[in-house]
Amino acid sequence: MSEIIPKVFRINTGSCNGCDVEFVATAFVDKFHIESLGVELVEDVKDSNLLVITGPLTAKSEPFLKKYLNQMKKPFVVVGVGTCSVSCGIFRDSYAINGPLDKFVEVDVNVAGCPPRPQSIAEGIAKGVKVLNQKMHGEVTPKKIDTIFQDFSAPQTFRGKMALHEGMCTGCRTCETVCPSTAIKISKTDDGFTHNIWHNSCCYCGNCAYFCPTGAIHSTNNFDTAKLSNHKYTDINIAHIEYETCTKCQEKFMPPSRGLLGKAYVHDDVNKLNAKICPSCRKEANFKRMYA
Amino acid sequence: MKIDEFNNAIKSKITGAYELKEDSDSYGNSNAWVILENKRDVEVVAKAIKAYKGRCVVATAYKNEKENTHTVVYHFDINGTIVNMQLVTDNQSVHSITPILKSADWAEREMREMYDIEVLGHPCSDRLFLDYSLVKGVLNEYISLSKMQTGLSDTDVLWSKINKGAES
Amino acid sequence: MSEKITIGPFNPELEESVYFKLVVDENRVVEEVELINGFIHRGMESLATKKNFMQNLILTERVCSLCSNNHPFTYSLAVEKIAGVEVPLRGEALRVIADEVKRVASDLFNLSMLTHLAHRHDLMKETLEIREYMQDLKETIWGNRMDMSVNILTGTKYNLNDEKVTFILKTLNEAEPRIKALQKAYQNDAVFKDKTVGVGILPYEDALEIGVTGPVARGSGVNNDVRVKAPYSLYALRPSLQPKVTTYEEGDVYARAMVRFGDIIEAIRIIRDVVADLPEGDTYLEKRPHIPAGEAVVRTEAPRGELIYYLKTDGSQKPVRMRWKVPTYSNWEALKVMIKGDKVDNVTMILNSIDPCISCTER
Repeated sequence: MSEIIPKVFRINTGSCNGCDVEFVATAFVDKFHIESLGVELVEDVKDSNLLVITGPLTAKSEPFLKKYLNQMKKPFVVVGVGTCSVSCGIFRDSYAINGPLDKFVEVDVNVAGCPPRPQSIAEGIAKGVKVLNQKMHGEVTPKKIDTIFQDFSAPQTFRGKMALHEGMCTGCRTCETVCPSTAIKISKTDDGFTHNIWHNSCCYCGNCAYFCPTGAIHSTNNFDTAKLSNHKYTDINIAHIEYETCTKCQEKFMPPSRGLLGKAYVHDDVNKLNAKICPSCRKEANFKRMYA
Repeated sequence: MKIDEFNNAIKSKITGAYELKEDSDSYGNSNAWVILENKRDVEVVAKAIKAYKGRCVVATAYKNEKENTHTVVYHFDINGTIVNMQLVTDNQSVHSITPILKSADWAEREMREMYDIEVLGHPCSDRLFLDYSLVKGVLNEYISLSKMQTGLSDTDVLWSKINKGAES
Repeated sequence: MSEKITIGPFNPELEESVYFKLVVDENRVVEEVELINGFIHRGMESLATKKNFMQNLILTERVCSLCSNNHPFTYSLAVEKIAGVEVPLRGEALRVIADEVKRVASDLFNLSMLTHLAHRHDLMKETLEIREYMQDLKETIWGNRMDMSVNILTGTKYNLNDEKVTFILKTLNEAEPRIKALQKAYQNDAVFKDKTVGVGILPYEDALEIGVTGPVARGSGVNNDVRVKAPYSLYALRPSLQPKVTTYEEGDVYARAMVRFGDIIEAIRIIRDVVADLPEGDTYLEKRPHIPAGEAVVRTEAPRGELIYYLKTDGSQKPVRMRWKVPTYSNWEALKVMIKGDKVDNVTMILNSIDPCISCTER
C-alpha cells in the first residue's frame, strides 16, 4: 500500500466556533498527537482530500459549501465535527438552518460533542484517514473501525455520554422538558416507558442530570463519539422503565423511584418499603388500617 | 448623567407626548425609559444622545397583539447609563436615526429583515444577516415554513429514523 | 491599476466564515472594503422564543463558545431582574470566578491566532500551550473545555470545595509566570512588533463615533468596561474587584494585543481575590423563581466587550422576545476604518485583532 498524505481543509458552516477553536487546539497542541497521523493542513480546498466540517449548515453557507465541494477531486473523506454537523443539535428546526450536513454530502465519520474533546476530534480524523486510504485503494468502507488512539481517559467530572439508572427513573419527563436539543424521547409502551437518549443530538450540557428529581439520568465521562456514519441513528442509550403489577388488584402501575424513596426515608430499608401494591390499593389499605 | 438633565435636553424639542421613567437593578445601575407617542420624535432623542457623546447599543422590536402594530425599543448608552427609547408603529415603518448616530446602523438593518419594519432614510438597503433565500420578517412568524408545509419538523423526521433503526 | 480580491467565506485563516470583497491598488493597499455577513446566522432569537427558560440557559451558552459563560450569565441577570430575585452572595462569587477563567482562556486563544497570522509559530504554540492550563481547569471543575454550564436562574449549578480551590490556585500559580514571560516575549519580538505596530489603526474619534467596546475600545483610549462603568454582580458588591483596566492610545493591532494581556493579568488577580474571600452559603435559591410579565435590559463585560440582553416576558414559560447585542456587533464597523489604507496581506490579521466573534454577532 502506498502512503497517502491526508490533506485537511476545515469548513465552518455556522458553528458557534467551539469546534473550530478546539480543532485548532487539536492541530497545534502537541499532547493531542495529531502529527502521528501525518496530516497536512492545506490552504486551498482544491488540494484537500479530507474535509473537516463544523456547524449546522446555515442557509447562507449552503451554496458556498456546494461550490467548494464541486472543486474537490474524488475520492475524498468528510469528517463532521460536533453535534451540530451530525444532527444540527440545539439549532435544529430554525428557519435559518438547512442541515444536517448529510443532506448535501456523503459524510464518512461523525464526531458528536459540544464541542468534542480534542482527543475525540483527533480520533475522528484518524478514522477519516483510514477511510481515505481504503477509498483511494478502491476498497469498501467497513462497518466498524476500532479505536485508533488508545488513551481515552477523561477526568471523572467530564460531562460525556449521558446514561440512565432504570430503577431510579419514573418517566416523569423532566429531562425531556429541560433538554435544549431534543436529544431525549420518552415514549409509552404497553409495559411502561422507553427512555431514549440520542448521543448525536446531545449537547452534553448536563441540564437533564441537574434537574432530574431522582438522580436517574447522569453523565458518564465516556467520550467515545467518533463513529462511522452508519452509526448515526443507532448511537443511542435505550432504557426500559417497566410497570409493576399490583399484587392485590393485578393492575399495572409505575413504582415509586428508589432514588426518591432513599431521599425521603433515610433511616429505612427502601426495598422493604417498596411493597408491590399500586397507589389506589395502598390508599385503600391505609384507610382500612386507620378507620376500619 | 442625571435623568433630569437629559429630560431638559429633549423636552422643548419633542412634538408629541412622552413618558419618562427610571428603574434600577439590585446593583444600583439605573435605566431610563423614554416612551414616545409620536414616532417622529426619535430624531430629537437621537440628537440628544449624540450631544451627550452617547451611542446606540442596539434596537429591539416585537409584534403586538393589536393587528399590524409593532413596538420598537432602542437602547442607548451615555457613559454607563442605559437610556431606552420606546415607540409603536402601526404601518411597519420607522424613521432611521443612523444618519445621526452611526452606531444604530446594523440594529436598524436587522429590524428591517427580521421584522419587516422599513427604516426610512437608512443609508444602506442591503440585507445584513438574513439569506436572500428566506423571506423578510422571519421573527414575525412563530412556526417555521417547513413545519407549516409538511406538518413535520426536522426533529420529528430524525427521531422517526432512530425509531426505525431501533425496530430493525 | 486597481484589483479586486475576495477572501473567504471558508478560509483556513478565518476561524469563522465571512466574505471579504476588497479593492486594492497597485501597491496592494486596500482602497475599498465590503464585508458580507450572515454565514453564521442561525435564527437563534427565534429559537429562544420557542424554548423554555431552563432550555434557554443552554441555548444562550451556544451562541458562541468563546464567551459561552457570559451569555447565560447575562440572560440569568435579565430573568432575575424581572423575577425580582437576589442571588446568594456565594452564587455571585462563583459566577465571577467562572467568567474570569473564560476571559483568560478566550484572550489567550485570540493571542495565539494573532501570532499564527503574524507567522510567529513558536509564540503561537507557547500561547496555546498556556491556554491548556485554563482548558484543563475548566474540564476538571466544570466538566467541559468550552461550555461550562455554570449558570442557573438564581445562582450557579456548581460549587467549590477546598480541594477545587487548591487546584484553581495551583493552576494560576503555574500559568501566571508563563503568561508574564509570554507578554515580554511578544514585546521583545522584532518580527511580531514589525507586523503589528502601526497596523490597523482605529483613531480615538472613530472609536467613539462607531461605539466600539471592550479591548478594541481600550486599545484606542476609550474605556467603557462595564465592570467599571456599570458594575454588576460581585463587581458591584465588592468594588475592589473591579479591574484596573489597561488602555493604550495607539489604536493599532499591537495595542489591542497588549490590552488583552492586561485583561488576562487582572482576571487572574480577580479570581485570586474572590477565592481568597469566598462567601459562605448557598450557591442558588432552593425555590425556583416565578417569572412574571416584564422586561429588563442588563449587561456584562464579556472578553470582547459589552454584552447586553433585552428580555421581555409575559408570565409564560418562554420569553416573548429576547435580543442580545454582543461586542463584535459594535466593533465590526470599525474594521472598515482599520483595513482601509492598510496592506491586503494584513487583512486577516486586522480582522483577528478585534477578536471577532461572528457566531455571537450573527446569532
